[in-house]
Amino acid sequence: MNWPDLSMGGYGFYVWGSYIFALVLIIWEVVSLKQRKRTLRQQQHAQRSSSVSPSVLTGSANETTS
Amino acid sequence: MLRWIVWRDLTLAWRRRADILSTVFFFIIVVSLFPLGIGPETQLLRSIAPGVIWVAALLASMLSLSRLFANDLQDGTLEQLLLTPQPLFLVVLGKVLAHWIVSEIPLVLIAPLVGLQFDIPGETLFILVVSLLVGTPVLSLIGSVGAALTLGLRGGGVLISILVLPLYIPALIFGAGAVEASIIGASPAPHLYLLGAFAIVSLIFSPWATAAALRISLE
Amino acid sequence: MNLYKYASPTSFYPLAGKLIPWFAIPSAILFAVGMYVGFFIAPTDFQQGDAYRIIFIHVPAAWMGMFLYVLMAIYAGIGWAFNARLASMMASAIAITGAMFTLLSLVTGALWGKPTWGTYWAWDARMTSTLILLFLYIGFISLQSAIDDTRRADRAGAVLALVGVINVPIIYFSVQWWNTLHQGASIRILGKPTIAAPMLAAMLIILAACWLYSVAVVLMRLRCIILEREQNASRFAEVNA
Repeated sequence: MNWPDLSMGGYGFYVWGSYIFALVLIIWEVVSLKQRKRTLRQQQHAQRSSSVSPSVLTGSANETTS
Repeated sequence: MLRWIVWRDLTLAWRRRADILSTVFFFIIVVSLFPLGIGPETQLLRSIAPGVIWVAALLASMLSLSRLFANDLQDGTLEQLLLTPQPLFLVVLGKVLAHWIVSEIPLVLIAPLVGLQFDIPGETLFILVVSLLVGTPVLSLIGSVGAALTLGLRGGGVLISILVLPLYIPALIFGAGAVEASIIGASPAPHLYLLGAFAIVSLIFSPWATAAALRISLE
Repeated sequence: MNLYKYASPTSFYPLAGKLIPWFAIPSAILFAVGMYVGFFIAPTDFQQGDAYRIIFIHVPAAWMGMFLYVLMAIYAGIGWAFNARLASMMASAIAITGAMFTLLSLVTGALWGKPTWGTYWAWDARMTSTLILLFLYIGFISLQSAIDDTRRADRAGAVLALVGVINVPIIYFSVQWWNTLHQGASIRILGKPTIAAPMLAAMLIILAACWLYSVAVVLMRLRCIILEREQNASRFAEVNA
């Protein structure tokens, strides 16, 4: 495997800069999506547990915990 | 129906004459800012004049667009217009025509005075007026799509501008290009023909898109 | 197998979740392969030295920006015409990814321009059209975020995207016209140099990687949108019960 000239003939800033910027965008997109998903999941759990409580309080027939 | 809509809008606009004048004043002020920012050198001003005047016309049009449907929305007329058996795109066409007469024609008329500020030669002033005359309908037509989409939204004028200014770019290129061609002595005809073609395409498609957007915004 | 059940967002949600790794992992592999071909196999260019290697990411990014805009408009149109919620959600999910590829194309184009033609920004037809495409994406995203009612946001976005899609060829043509007129002031890209096979291969492999990446990321975003709308709907139902 013959290694290419890593300084890119002096143009290293431009070439590696481009790929690093691409990587930054990709990481930003994936990370922000994962965070968004996590927040939504948490909200969903909070919502589910809060809507279960009323039926528990009113003693509905579906109550399985005692 | 068309004539009635145009007449109604013109009458309403006449009652609010100040709005028309403020658009014209904005145009004049914006154009005057450029020499102040760049310097009074005549040669330089003459070369930037076509672009500056056209961009100022675009920006002035943006200001008047939010009024196109907003007033009718507020007093309930817009909902009534949607319910008439008349095809909605005729209603739209009427309002756009009225908007053009009220908001764009004054710019066309003032343009020669503004052009003198940039030392544009006489024949070019004529081409400037022609280019604006052919191009401003595009501003009203495409602008009406943006106005309909953003009806009642928070963003206001800025949002319309973001949506509509990129779509104006062909008109800007051909319109300013015609004036510039005239300044350097080339023929402005190809630019004006292309501008005219773009105007015709806008005339065919925009009212339909605006009508659809109005229905979507008012549901 | 009844495929129509997947048109409902709630049934598509788990399917999307299962599909994501099937696109994400091959995408990462292809990126690595493409980079290998581009850097280890493709030779140094005669005219541009090693700076040309930017095209392996610049060209795929530009194409993705354009493809995704058209795809977004198609999904938005389908969602509007057939009242298909999932299609409209797809359009909204694609928007940001498309905008990011367009931005990447502009930045890498500028970084390619500096060593090759001396300036970061040359107002050539392609770069200028790409900039305008970014404005169109921004318009779509801004309009949708300004509208609270999801149905109106979906449909308004569809009108805007379709108007944009029709305008893009007109804009591109007018920018080319503008560019040829002002030739003296701008720097022209004098034709494409003949592309050696390994260079073309690297570009195409990375393009494929970008496609797979886009599918994975768009599906991720789509799942978030489905969750958000479901939550808003149940909150609305609770309040009005």
